[in-house]
Amino acid sequence: MELRRRDFMDFKEVLKHLSEAGGVSGQEGPVRYIASDALGKYADDVRVDTFGNIVALKRATIQRTNESPRVMLAAHYDEIGLIVTKIEERGFLRFSTVGGVDPRTLPGQEVVVQGREPFVGIIGAKPPHVQSPGESKNVIKLEELFIDIGLSEDEAKKFIKVGDLVNFKRDFVELSDNMVAGKSMDDRAGLVVILKALKELSMLNHQVDVYAVATVQEEVGVRGATVSTYGITPDIGIAIDVTHGHMEGVSKRDTVQMGGGSAISIGPHVHPKLFQSFVDISREVNIPYQIEASPTPAGTDAFAIQITREGVASALISIPLRYMHTSVEVASMDDIKEAGRLIAAFIARIDQQYVEELKCF
Amino acid sequence: MKEVLRKLSETYGPSGHEYRIREIIKEEISGFVDEIREDTMGNLIAVKRASRGKAEAKVMVAAHMDEIGLIVTHIDDNGFIRFSNIGGVSPFISIGQRVIFSNGAIGTVYHEPIEDISKLKLENMYIDIGAQDKESAMKIVKIGDAAGFHRPLEWVGERGIGKSMDNRAGCAVAVETIKKVGRTPNDVYFVFTSQEEVGLRGARTAAYGIAPDVGIAVDVTSTGDTPEAKTMAVKLGGGTAIKVRDASVICNPLVRERLIEIAEANGIPYQLEILERGGTDAGSIHLTREGIPSGVISVPCRYIHSPSEMIDYYDMVNSIELLTKALQSPFKMFAGS
Repeated sequence: MELRRRDFMDFKEVLKHLSEAGGVSGQEGPVRYIASDALGKYADDVRVDTFGNIVALKRATIQRTNESPRVMLAAHYDEIGLIVTKIEERGFLRFSTVGGVDPRTLPGQEVVVQGREPFVGIIGAKPPHVQSPGESKNVIKLEELFIDIGLSEDEAKKFIKVGDLVNFKRDFVELSDNMVAGKSMDDRAGLVVILKALKELSMLNHQVDVYAVATVQEEVGVRGATVSTYGITPDIGIAIDVTHGHMEGVSKRDTVQMGGGSAISIGPHVHPKLFQSFVDISREVNIPYQIEASPTPAGTDAFAIQITREGVASALISIPLRYMHTSVEVASMDDIKEAGRLIAAFIARIDQQYVEELKCF
Repeated sequence: MKEVLRKLSETYGPSGHEYRIREIIKEEISGFVDEIREDTMGNLIAVKRASRGKAEAKVMVAAHMDEIGLIVTHIDDNGFIRFSNIGGVSPFISIGQRVIFSNGAIGTVYHEPIEDISKLKLENMYIDIGAQDKESAMKIVKIGDAAGFHRPLEWVGERGIGKSMDNRAGCAVAVETIKKVGRTPNDVYFVFTSQEEVGLRGARTAAYGIAPDVGIAVDVTSTGDTPEAKTMAVKLGGGTAIKVRDASVICNPLVRERLIEIAEANGIPYQLEILERGGTDAGSIHLTREGIPSGVISVPCRYIHSPSEMIDYYDMVNSIELLTKALQSPFKMFAGS
């Protein structure tokens, strides 16, 4: 693929572009160009596999053996969204969800329907004036919602077909205290962590080949990571995803602190030695971190990575995020940058012997 | 084709017990393929080599042979048989059904008295094979035996009603395609898979072994054309269905577009399908190894997982037509990618 290299002022600007682009699972194309450009800046080689995963390779700068150990970094660049299931009379579009969309968050959203060309649409709601008594007390069901793109049925059928994907349309905004908000921070924030890590590594020496992978179809079942890990056959796999940050109405037991540094996961899908290394390195180089217990393996690329081929030592680093799976996800640029530093510091410290030791549990 | 479908539909073959279906298919396709083999999972793999020299691509076509069923878990003192499900079996649909075991023993399914029928679960149900007591029941059936629905296929006009249209309709499409397709530019591996209904299992190992460039599953899909049905733009009799996505797979856009182009170029009526629940063999195939671009050709079917699944003859004809034309075109764009 031809890369149209683009320069971004800073990581916030990269995240803005990544966040605002549409890339619902299965049709991640528009984000792919931006992500490839950004990764290409720090990598020796960038390729896209048959699935759409972007695999950027940064080779070891110190080579001690014929074949350097391989570390895979994975952040998914697909997003949740909608899919057109039927074009109704008068041109209204019925839809179903792709990934974990909460129907309660849909009325009033602006969307982009990726038809033969992109169409801006809105998800309307029945005005209070014409509702029957008590109707406002009920939750609106998905089946009752539709997208209005303003076209007649005949016109709509010319440009839109069943199966066309729909992404949310939302401007990236900056809040106070280095917080940013927008759609698809899950997991474009993770992608920016990888970019930051690669940038840090360009100023350090490392003995491992780094495969930075922007994966697809995570939101529908960690599918991109499944096949890309098979192809890369890494010795270590690190998934970078988002986790729930403190927000009103949610127990502190279920969240981590916004701006408190990235969350290092411990649980059955994390190799205990990798976990310990991340904690030790955070302390050593003074990078803020939090520890998160993740008892169930489902839901992140780490699980797909762990059970590939003969098994891969895996870790999970998460960015605190508020309002996950809405179009106003909030993350802290500080957490993103610190996570990138942590991963770079880890990669710079490991060697062949470290990788061998992971095999004795 | 109607006769092939009748044989396939009426024959016993719950997941893991596909041997009779295998035999019927082997007999039907012998002479039309270059190789036939079985693997350890019970998949039947029939290969049609490319017309000359090097194949443009290796294409795997998958149609699952297995059907949903019941498995015996316990036989009580009075000879009543308790069971669990193989695949997605509804307790409500099972009431009063006749089921058949591999040895030909027939039973009927019923439930304990229950106040609120909406709370009916399979554990409150049993199979009655007419046995006097435990001892005589155990001469006929033992723990672990599997039963399937017992129903003849009926044609009502051009629509067939019967058990296991899911997925003997797909098997029949693949069988008829084998007979019709002739030499193609591709090496085509027709895989009649096992154990789809319990987690797309046969297709997973077959795809790993074959390592194709492209996968095409052939299966049934739901319709949205019955009274008060959930929104779905697929109609019985509306043509073959080209899958966009289901719970197991987002079909590769290049494969999907290729199928659409071929249908349009040949005037084959087709519908685009989004199945919100359920999956198919492409779900396993596309995640195999480094990822295999996959698509699905579906036969629209009403009342899936009941003993009265209904298909339309012309939807099947159109599915055969689409699969045949697709295989006759070179799939080079995917080879070695």
